[in-house]
Amino acid sequence: MSAQLWALAVVGAIVLAAAGLETFRSRRARRRVFAASPTPSVPRRGAAPMNGEEPYILYFTGDSCTVCRTHQEPALARLGDVRIDKVDAVNERVLADQFHVYTLPTTVVMGADGNALHINYGYAAAPKLERQLADARGAGLRSAATA
Amino acid sequence: MSTPTQVVDHSALKVNQTGIIATVLVAFIGSAVFRPLLVLIPLLAIALLLGTFAPQLALFKQLYFKVLKPRGVVKPRPVQDRPEPHNFAQGLGGVFLAVASIFLIPLPVVGLALSLLVAVLAFVNLAFGYCVGCQIFFQLERRGLIRA
Repeated sequence: MSAQLWALAVVGAIVLAAAGLETFRSRRARRRVFAASPTPSVPRRGAAPMNGEEPYILYFTGDSCTVCRTHQEPALARLGDVRIDKVDAVNERVLADQFHVYTLPTTVVMGADGNALHINYGYAAAPKLERQLADARGAGLRSAATA
Repeated sequence: MSTPTQVVDHSALKVNQTGIIATVLVAFIGSAVFRPLLVLIPLLAIALLLGTFAPQLALFKQLYFKVLKPRGVVKPRPVQDRPEPHNFAQGLGGVFLAVASIFLIPLPVVGLALSLLVAVLAFVNLAFGYCVGCQIFFQLERRGLIRA
């Protein structure tokens, strides 16, 4: 029995270490993106914005990402009339590296000016994205008021 | 980005993950009172590795396709997806269990820990849809080490 208990302790330690490492990686990646001067920005892709100058979402995905299809895309669909720019993280590596994309899915909430405001490494639920979009709209209004 | 044209039945994946978790748990807990149950670990490694290279030999998936699905016990859940990352993840699980099998007799703590780790990762995939093997596949693909 003691071998089982030791094994359980080892796996527990590995799981805790992995969780800690994941937190560290996402914080470091986020810090690097926002520490870059200027903050990474992306020119609008494809068609003109649907609602004038509105924040939008840069959505990094890939063919090998199952969570993207089963969880992230339904969450993005729930956001309604929000522009989503889908990026293949494997084919568009330069852009993915700019945002330190190390896991899929990764969602970046971009301000109306095309600057990154929030980054989510891994699955981001619809309410979280809605909050970030609301914050991005507020930031847009504040910058317009001070201009 | 090309949308995958293949369809993967995610119920087959879930049955596979459930089978892995159940087998490892029986071996892990059962071996405390009946040590020969440890033989389930190398058997599972063989089943996973065989299933990776020859899907018709994938034990739990065949259980789903031949028994559970036709009898309506588990409903199919087809999703447009690529099978390669899932196969890679299964193969990785098989390799970990094969390494665990080598350690089971001389260093049981290492062998049991590796086996339990495979079960934990299968559980994370089953419960939260997060596939660690698929993430490793993405990283290798991104670095050009695996070509789809």
